[in-house]
Amino acid sequence: MRTLRRAEDRGHSDLGWLDSYHTFSFGAYHDPKHMGFRALRVLNDDRVAPGRGFGAHGHRDMEILSYVIEGQLAHKDSMGGEHVLGPNEVQAMSAGSGVIHSEFNGSETEPVHFLQIWIEPATEDLRPSYQQFAYDPAEKRGTLRLMAAPDASAGAAVIRQNARMYAAVLGAGESIRHSLEPGRHAWVQCVGGEIDVSGLALKAGDGVAISEEQVVDLGGGGEPHGELLLFDLA
Amino acid sequence: MSETPNPEVKVLVVFYSRHGATERVALAAGLGAIQARGSIRLRRLADLAEPQVIDADPSWKAARARMSRDYVEPRPADPVWADVIVLATPDGSSVEVEAYCASLRALGSMAGKIAMPLAAGGGEAALTALYAAAAAAGLIVVPACALDADDPLASVRAHGQQVTGMARALRA
Repeated sequence: MRTLRRAEDRGHSDLGWLDSYHTFSFGAYHDPKHMGFRALRVLNDDRVAPGRGFGAHGHRDMEILSYVIEGQLAHKDSMGGEHVLGPNEVQAMSAGSGVIHSEFNGSETEPVHFLQIWIEPATEDLRPSYQQFAYDPAEKRGTLRLMAAPDASAGAAVIRQNARMYAAVLGAGESIRHSLEPGRHAWVQCVGGEIDVSGLALKAGDGVAISEEQVVDLGGGGEPHGELLLFDLA
Repeated sequence: MSETPNPEVKVLVVFYSRHGATERVALAAGLGAIQARGSIRLRRLADLAEPQVIDADPSWKAARARMSRDYVEPRPADPVWADVIVLATPDGSSVEVEAYCASLRALGSMAGKIAMPLAAGGGEAALTALYAAAAAAGLIVVPACALDADDPLASVRAHGQQVTGMARALRA
């Protein structure tokens, strides 16, 4: 079973400095039919103006992943960390028992475009933690590169949920098959370009929920190359 | 089916900080509130000093630039939203604390809310002035905690948890 979530049907907020599209309910955008998928609770597509950002605010009991498409994202948190995240890097913050952080565009001249993903943790009240790692973009070219997982495997960020996040970039004619174990579900988000997901054509911002299927077939849609995130969820 | 009452507690943290010491205390209180499953808003009061005075102090100037980005100033809607208002000031003089309190009063009525006064170093003069201002504004004042000499921020975090829990119990 596949359920499409088209880019143009997402929630949208434009604060001037922040242009954000919400695949699932977030902030002032609330739609009870779109409260998340399995443990995937938030998938925001954010563009932040140069020098602007999210001031100090708190989180609790959430696995927060950031995936930069273009630009630089500066982060500072109550654990004492200060970091800058760019393309081909992944940031994972486990809010656990509580964290205060801020996120700003790390550039005074260029916008930053990134996806922020919230995954509900399997266990509450854990010790907060922060991870960030870089990878070679060739590692996601034509293959699914694991970005986050519940175990410290394959150089991925560790999250406290039975969920895995992969990224891939596919050119025209390239294809990948991802097997889903019985009882598992998938969400595929088209990050850029165009992709084909088990026969469905997706453009940037589109997503699809997949349940009760054994495989997910992913294909490149043409030029520019299609970029996607795949979430394998319990 | 009965439900266990667990109402959301909203905690507004209003602080004034020049070099970041009171900011750290305010963040500790806010983190304690989050740990007690409260929702928080962090607000920094604007500097009242003349710009040339601030510019003459590089540390103050840099901290002000950073904090002006990290925090917005409190707005009248903030105390309306809040169940608990953390009032955090530097130890400072009574004149400074009075200026802080005047800025708070300008936000409008806070009557009936729970006040959690904090002075960055636990200074009694600042706390006494805060208690008086908060009581005069009709706030329910929870006295400040004793600060652990080795880890004062841990004391403030624990206090933030306790006051948030207290507010939840009062709302239940």
